[in-house]
Amino acid sequence: MAIVANQTRFGTYGRPVLAWVVALIFFFPIFWLVFTSFKTDADAVKPEHLLFFTPTLDNYLNMTENYDYWRFATNSVITSVFATVFALAVGIPCAYAMAFNPSRATKDVLMWMLSTKMLPAAAVLYPMTFITKSIGLFDTHFMVIVVLMLINLPIVIWMLFTYFKEIPKEIIEAGQMDGVNTWGEIKEILIPLAWGGIASTALLCFIFCWNEAYWTVRLTTTEAATLSKLIEGNRAPEGLFFGRLSAVSAAAVGPIVVLGWFCQKQLVQGLTFGAVK
Amino acid sequence: MSNRSLPRLLQTPAVILLLIWMLVPLSLTLYFSFIRYVLNNLRRPEWTTPSFSNWRGFGNYEFVLNSKDFLFAIQNSLLIVGSILFCTVIFGVLIAVLINKSFPGQGIVRVLLISPFFVMPAVNAVLWINMILDPVLGLQGLAVNGINDMIAGLRSTPVLGAFFSLWPEFEPISFRATQTSAYAVIIMVTWQWTPFAVLIFMTSLQSEDQQQKEAAILDGAGAWSQFRFLTLPHLGRPIAIVVMIQAIFHLSLYAEIEIVSRGNGNKNLPYLIGEFANNNIGAASATGIFAVILANIVAIFLLRMIGKTLME
Repeated sequence: MAIVANQTRFGTYGRPVLAWVVALIFFFPIFWLVFTSFKTDADAVKPEHLLFFTPTLDNYLNMTENYDYWRFATNSVITSVFATVFALAVGIPCAYAMAFNPSRATKDVLMWMLSTKMLPAAAVLYPMTFITKSIGLFDTHFMVIVVLMLINLPIVIWMLFTYFKEIPKEIIEAGQMDGVNTWGEIKEILIPLAWGGIASTALLCFIFCWNEAYWTVRLTTTEAATLSKLIEGNRAPEGLFFGRLSAVSAAAVGPIVVLGWFCQKQLVQGLTFGAVK
Repeated sequence: MSNRSLPRLLQTPAVILLLIWMLVPLSLTLYFSFIRYVLNNLRRPEWTTPSFSNWRGFGNYEFVLNSKDFLFAIQNSLLIVGSILFCTVIFGVLIAVLINKSFPGQGIVRVLLISPFFVMPAVNAVLWINMILDPVLGLQGLAVNGINDMIAGLRSTPVLGAFFSLWPEFEPISFRATQTSAYAVIIMVTWQWTPFAVLIFMTSLQSEDQQQKEAAILDGAGAWSQFRFLTLPHLGRPIAIVVMIQAIFHLSLYAEIEIVSRGNGNKNLPYLIGEFANNNIGAASATGIFAVILANIVAIFLLRMIGKTLME
């Protein structure tokens, strides 16, 4: 084993230093966003205040006044939470059936579900607007929730399926012996056993919903507009409002970046559909 | 028998929902792509409601193929997707190999590196185009000014002055301009998706055969040949998957393009569809069908690959 341990000078000093430099470069834009958010709008564009300035919380305190932040944030929370809950409600029974009672078609059904994820959203842009407007659901929370749920459903089912598959079939069958019905199996055996997997699936689904930027922008105007819509609406201030824009952007991504730190591992599985292990 | 059939029935809600989600809008797109359908036309008001009597056959497709924006959008889509893929894979492999061995603070380095991936696309674009790439007020503008000032200062030094007076004044690049806005998009998306590549390559590297590596070292293989003949082949499959998944995501880039230049000089297919959809729904739908075909070409390869590992 001693041979494998990297004993070169690069291994001891160069690697950590270089790794830290790369990591800091990648993190820098996020740092800079948060850093700028503590400057006043005037300071944010003055080169002499690039690094040294009197920090202020005004940009955060005035988010409601400047951008009506909390209304958009509430919409983001409502739509993401409900979309995640519904996706799980539909996805858990489906993944349960596929993992424990697979048929010959299961594999094809799974592949087909994935293929719906690969359909470019823009291709159905107008039909979706047309449909939602003609049934009176344009710019409603309900429609955003339904769309967010549907675009994430394949990933949710896929992830749950891979988690469920790892549970020994015998445990579920033992439940059947004891006369537990299907719902009981799901509720009392499967969900407690796969709790970790379900939680990380939910977390990832929530993150994807929160960051979604096509349908949430295209299918809303004011009522159900989410944070993506808010930021996109204030896209190009040409230097006028760097401070306040940074604050509202930081507030829009902060919670999700932190949540993301907790599910890096699941991210690989969720995004590669289990193809990379 | 009922023992099996109820559990199987549990799939149906998901299947039906996805079936509706896939078929209904897409068949409408297909239908609209074959009729004359515009939102505003004073002379031909009958074209403003979809109807089979406005049948146009492949006329919309012909119209789209002949518009110069279409060819540009295809080229630009490929330029953007190709560049992003190239950069993310190269950076991804290098960084994954770099941080795969344990060192002090590896956990924190991972957390810092993965963070950009969770930034919502709208914020990503706003942050880069305003705070970083802006030619006057962003860090880019300030950096270029700083360099110019420094050179100006050096010109008056005794010996080196002659050398530095040969240097030109640097011009900051305006990334909102028509020729450069695609590069802004490439930069910001590469920043966001390199972490994704790193994460996947790292996951894959952890399953690399260590004994094989030890044997190679005993045989006197250097770091480069280990990388070239062991690590890189091992990463072949994950690279293919990263390429395909990203291709599917980036073919439908939208928010970044909208925010950087509102499509000025930098359109891709989704953006072109959005523009057509302001009035000419027929053309938007025909373009949509082209986008579906393009995405399908990639998707077929990806699905085949995933399918192989599915039931293991």
